[in-house]
Amino acid sequence: MNNRMNILYVITAVFLLVLPFVYESRTLLILLTQVFIFAIFAMSYDILLGYTGIVSFGHAMFFGIGAYTIGVFMKQFEPTIPYFLLAVLVTIVLTAIVSFVLGLLTLRLKSHFYAMLTLAFSGLFLVLAEKWRTVTYGNDGFTFRIPDLFKDRTDFYLICLVTMIVVFAILRRFTSSPLGRVLQAIRENEQRTESLGYSILHYKVIASVISGVMAGLAGLLYSMSLRFVNTSVFTMDITLDALLMTIIGGVGTLVGAIIGAGLIEFAHHWLTELAKVHWIFERWIIFFGIIYILAVMFFPMGIVGTLKKIKLNRTKKEEKKAEEKIAS
Amino acid sequence: MSTQLKLSEVETYIGQYHILQGVSFEVREGEVTVLLGRNGAGKTTTLRTIMGLNPPSKGEVIYKGEVIQGLPTYTVAQKGIGYVPEDQGIFSGLTVEENMKVAMKNNDDATKERLDWILELFPDLKKFWKKQGGLLSGGQKQMLSIARAYINENDLLLIDEPSKGLAPIVVEKVMETILQMKEKTTIVLVEQNFMMASTIGDKFYIIDDGKTVSEGSMNLLKEDEEMRRKYLGIA
Amino acid sequence: MDVLINLSLNGLATGMLIFLLAAGLTLIFGLMDVLNFAHGGLFAWGAYSGTWIYATTGSFLIAIAGAILTGLILGLLTERWIIKPVYGNHVQQILITLGLMLVLSELLKVVWGPNQISASPPSYLAGSWELGNVIIIKYRVFIIAVGILVFGLVQYILKNTKIGLIVRAGVMDKEMVQALGINIQKVFMLVFMIGAGMAALGGAMLGPYSGVIYAEMGLEFAILAFIVVVIGGMGSFPGSILAAILVGVSGSFMAYYVPSLSLAVNMLLMAVVLIFRPQGLFGLKG
Repeated sequence: MNNRMNILYVITAVFLLVLPFVYESRTLLILLTQVFIFAIFAMSYDILLGYTGIVSFGHAMFFGIGAYTIGVFMKQFEPTIPYFLLAVLVTIVLTAIVSFVLGLLTLRLKSHFYAMLTLAFSGLFLVLAEKWRTVTYGNDGFTFRIPDLFKDRTDFYLICLVTMIVVFAILRRFTSSPLGRVLQAIRENEQRTESLGYSILHYKVIASVISGVMAGLAGLLYSMSLRFVNTSVFTMDITLDALLMTIIGGVGTLVGAIIGAGLIEFAHHWLTELAKVHWIFERWIIFFGIIYILAVMFFPMGIVGTLKKIKLNRTKKEEKKAEEKIAS
Repeated sequence: MSTQLKLSEVETYIGQYHILQGVSFEVREGEVTVLLGRNGAGKTTTLRTIMGLNPPSKGEVIYKGEVIQGLPTYTVAQKGIGYVPEDQGIFSGLTVEENMKVAMKNNDDATKERLDWILELFPDLKKFWKKQGGLLSGGQKQMLSIARAYINENDLLLIDEPSKGLAPIVVEKVMETILQMKEKTTIVLVEQNFMMASTIGDKFYIIDDGKTVSEGSMNLLKEDEEMRRKYLGIA
Repeated sequence: MDVLINLSLNGLATGMLIFLLAAGLTLIFGLMDVLNFAHGGLFAWGAYSGTWIYATTGSFLIAIAGAILTGLILGLLTERWIIKPVYGNHVQQILITLGLMLVLSELLKVVWGPNQISASPPSYLAGSWELGNVIIIKYRVFIIAVGILVFGLVQYILKNTKIGLIVRAGVMDKEMVQALGINIQKVFMLVFMIGAGMAALGGAMLGPYSGVIYAEMGLEFAILAFIVVVIGGMGSFPGSILAAILVGVSGSFMAYYVPSLSLAVNMLLMAVVLIFRPQGLFGLKG
């Protein structure tokens, strides 16, 4: 089965790679680019929620740090590749420091604390972005130029796609590595894992840092795709997107995060179009919020999780049938 | 004497663990029934199952002719079953008085009479009436917990290892009081301390690996060294 | 001198509003182990319904009562439909209450429109007193008085009534409370409703104090309330008022002297508490 899945992944990847050369649609291209970027963001969230069982309500903070870092570097300095690389480096360092400190502060406590503290800190970053006008230009944000290499939409599409595939491969490796297994053991049963001699805090902080850095990189790509950044990157909506994508797609699966990102981004697009038809669709967060509540309540495993379960049940049933046959 | 509580083939899961795999026993009115068995055999879970704290997945729990499994814990308690948990369940931030008050259903004369009787039995509680529950000694906590379970007109007390962690002299005191309460109410006692169990118990059941494996009158067990060694690890 | 007094009064008034929000959070958390991320939404609903009723009826008292009633009803529905189905699962609870928070604040925009709404106190609470050269704004004193009143009332109930006793016992050991024949679900519902009612009261009083109300203020105040709950100690009722005053007053002074750092200072305060005393300054549990 695993092999069959891998073939499916490869086919999908190849399809997406050749898509811009056979089907020309600027809207679709931009939309898919957004999907890839948010898929990275959602996967980073899945490392926390799905693989370690940590709830963060401030994931927008890391996204925003990345988004602003690249913006500030491109605007204040020059839109060249060295500055771009420097911005990537600074994003990694900043997000790593912030997620490390937050993790160290709260991950030894009950899960509520991390959720609360991340929510509060992302609020702080939002205020910072609003107030530090000399750098951020306040609420309105600013546009900036990007290095020539990234200017072509198709090229940028391919870069985002490849980045997403690489991140997916790395994170999949990571989650099936011994370290990733410990994280999942923590999610399943914290006390037991601790009694086996693992330092829970240590592993949780590692998960927090990896997730934070990945989210920062997603934010960086995001504002590059818009060539614009404003305070909206720090808002709750961004965090909600990550939550929705991972939960609807299926937590703890990574693929689920990608599927979720696709669904939510297309839904966004569709609802924005509908807003022209009726004003109620301007309040699309309501729909997302309601879907999200229902998903958490009735559908907590998401699409991929539910599919897996159905498959598992079917194999079990088949096995049982086979057994019965042998028995009779 | 009529049957007050009856468990038949009760099975209980805690999470994925199949803790009780067929526990059956009968408690007759006015008697002290003792559940014996090794650590982890399922004695505490049996009491919790009766209280509805760990509801069973199979089997029946009948109290005074009424099926009570699946009922919420508070309903079970309201039917007249008092519970003294293994860790005593004292509200540590509340005073002795407040601990009693939480339990008291009514404030009528009958309750007051019971309170007087029980305070006479445990003069320490009277002495520390305004003291925080968490500051009491182990023995005092045990007494408070028993007093709290007894204060309402309960017909059945479930007492989980009252001797646990207490000094021998305190154990004797607790034992004495349970003997006195026996006059007024039916008791199911989980006990590891065989001396205590054999002194106050009328009937015994042995639980091993989540199943009742043996039963009889306490006097029988006192003489059956073989069985004690086999299931209880004591001679 | 008058600056100091005014800043203190301002801080106290803000502190009381945060307290009304944090008190419910901390009680609900202590008893039910639920951190209600939708609490700010209830606060905002209190503000909108209060302002709307005041504008419609012209009576501030009816407005306050109506806001509290709104809070109680929303609290009841929230507990029933949102919290109860996921009792015992922390991750699900945290996730679901956040979803409710967003739905609640978006619904406000659907009902009353996305723009800010202005609000003002009734004539008998408007204006100020002059004591020598110190000007004291009446409405601030009103908020402080209501805050103290609510604190006293709840504290009295917790200390001196059977239901208060049960709530305190429930914070320590839920199972045992049930084993003593008490239906804790009913107690949960009651506490949740009262917490929601207090939040709505706080919201209703905020409108005339800040002059405008908007949907996002729910989340903004909720963040302050979270800081208060962490500093005061999760589950500690007296802790919530002391920490709320601390946060309110420090916020008010910082806003005057170093405005750009006012939120940061409270965050810092919270971080220090988390490092050195994670159970909070007055808390019982970690």
